[in-house]
Amino acid sequence: MTVRELLEKIKQKAEIEDSKEDLGVLNAYVKPSSLRSLLIYMRDSLGFDWMSFMTALDMPQENTIEAVYELFSNSSKDSARIKVKLSRQAAEVETVSDIYRTAEWHEREAAEMFGITFKNHPHPENLILTPDIKAPLRKDFSGGDMKRMPE
Amino acid sequence: MEQKTAFEIQELTSDEYVLSMGPQHPATHGVLRILLRMDGEVVVNLQPDPGYIHSSIEKICENRKYDQVMPYTDRMDYLSAVSYNLAYALAVEKLMGLEVPNRGRHIRVILAEMNRIMSHLLWFAAYGIDMGALTPIWYAFRERENLITLIEMQTGNRLTHHALRIGGVKNDLPTGFVEGLNKFLENFNDMVDEYEALFIDNVIFKARTKSIGVLKKENAISYGVTGPNLRASGCDIDLRKLAPYSGYENFSFEVCSEKNGDSWDRCKIRMNEMRQSASILRQAIDTLPEGEISAKAPKIIKPTPGGCYAKVEGPRGEVGAYVVSAGTDKPYRVKFRSPSFSNLSALNEMCAGVKIADLVAIMGSLDIVIPEIDR
Repeated sequence: MTVRELLEKIKQKAEIEDSKEDLGVLNAYVKPSSLRSLLIYMRDSLGFDWMSFMTALDMPQENTIEAVYELFSNSSKDSARIKVKLSRQAAEVETVSDIYRTAEWHEREAAEMFGITFKNHPHPENLILTPDIKAPLRKDFSGGDMKRMPE
Repeated sequence: MEQKTAFEIQELTSDEYVLSMGPQHPATHGVLRILLRMDGEVVVNLQPDPGYIHSSIEKICENRKYDQVMPYTDRMDYLSAVSYNLAYALAVEKLMGLEVPNRGRHIRVILAEMNRIMSHLLWFAAYGIDMGALTPIWYAFRERENLITLIEMQTGNRLTHHALRIGGVKNDLPTGFVEGLNKFLENFNDMVDEYEALFIDNVIFKARTKSIGVLKKENAISYGVTGPNLRASGCDIDLRKLAPYSGYENFSFEVCSEKNGDSWDRCKIRMNEMRQSASILRQAIDTLPEGEISAKAPKIIKPTPGGCYAKVEGPRGEVGAYVVSAGTDKPYRVKFRSPSFSNLSALNEMCAGVKIADLVAIMGSLDIVIPEIDR
């Protein structure tokens, strides 16, 4: 499936805000409200049975945090990168951990690293960090004893 | 600081209790804590609690230049440093549009397959100890030492090799390397046969691992389990065949898979994979091309803005690097997808209802490496 064909297919099912092709992989920005229905459609009807990982990108200049879902199809070998733009002040999105079980841990990691709230997550507590460190992978993070490394 | 608790006391019935296994438990192969909800000797439920050796590598990468990130990638999976090197290098090279010369790609394959054998041998040794067999470690470390000596000749390091650079490899194969590897490969298959007969096919070992810790195929895929653990559950998915990289399409080898998805199948696959890796190594030595080992990468690497996800088949499964460039000399974001992270997340699925002694057998068969979970 080419990037264009894939985009046409998912456009019928979800509200796509923006999309671009990045080195042969579709990057589609989806409205947070249609994320879950899109992932269910892609898993069940387009053969994207595999979520490689889920993570986030902090974009302070646009005041957004992008949640990134990397999908792969083991049958057709297609990749797709679904992104959701969230506000930095109130980063909230529905969990997809019941659609792809692997997202459960990846979302827990993204939640503590970027300060995102995943609604209806089965285990919302921290996975890796202790609770006193808040969102260290945000670009404006400054911990008490964090020093810049020499170049 | 509040303590993480997975199970509230109120949830427990009167027969149940919570047991904290680790973080300093030898069978967890590093610093991992597992909270077990127990009913007598039976595991009702469990919750892994990683993070004790988190080293914030992803944050460090954002503050380093592209080439300076490379040594950090060694440190995540110390048993197969080359697979992380390779994933990161492939991602940056794709962003830059850099083509690695044939000889460089070949040397990468040789190092990656040597790493796979080294990693599987260490798993074999450590799993033996987990199961109360002390013999395997002496044999496995003897073979592993030969490979480490060879890799030390090539890179100067025994564990965190830092062998790869963006664009190719650092050093060409030194004099005596090919001869040494040939000598090692001469007897290696016989050794694997012997080890398999000694340990994996042993009746006591079979009784402890067969139909223990079964992972169903659909669960394995949904949890993102990769590598030998996935192939044991009846999926013949191997990225070297499915999405070839670094010239793997030129080598002929079999994807090893089994049907039952139990601990014994996972062991069997690793033993078979060592034979396949040895076969790839033989082909790679025989067809080693002449020429450059590295492409001319610019001194200051500034890829065009964009993101790239590159993945390779490490000894434990899909090792991936998602590199986002903003057009500067430092990566905007680097995310490492580590196989042990996803493999461990499926542990609860395998362990419900097993005895606690079997839990050690199941965890050992998953072959997890803690630093790559925490990163």
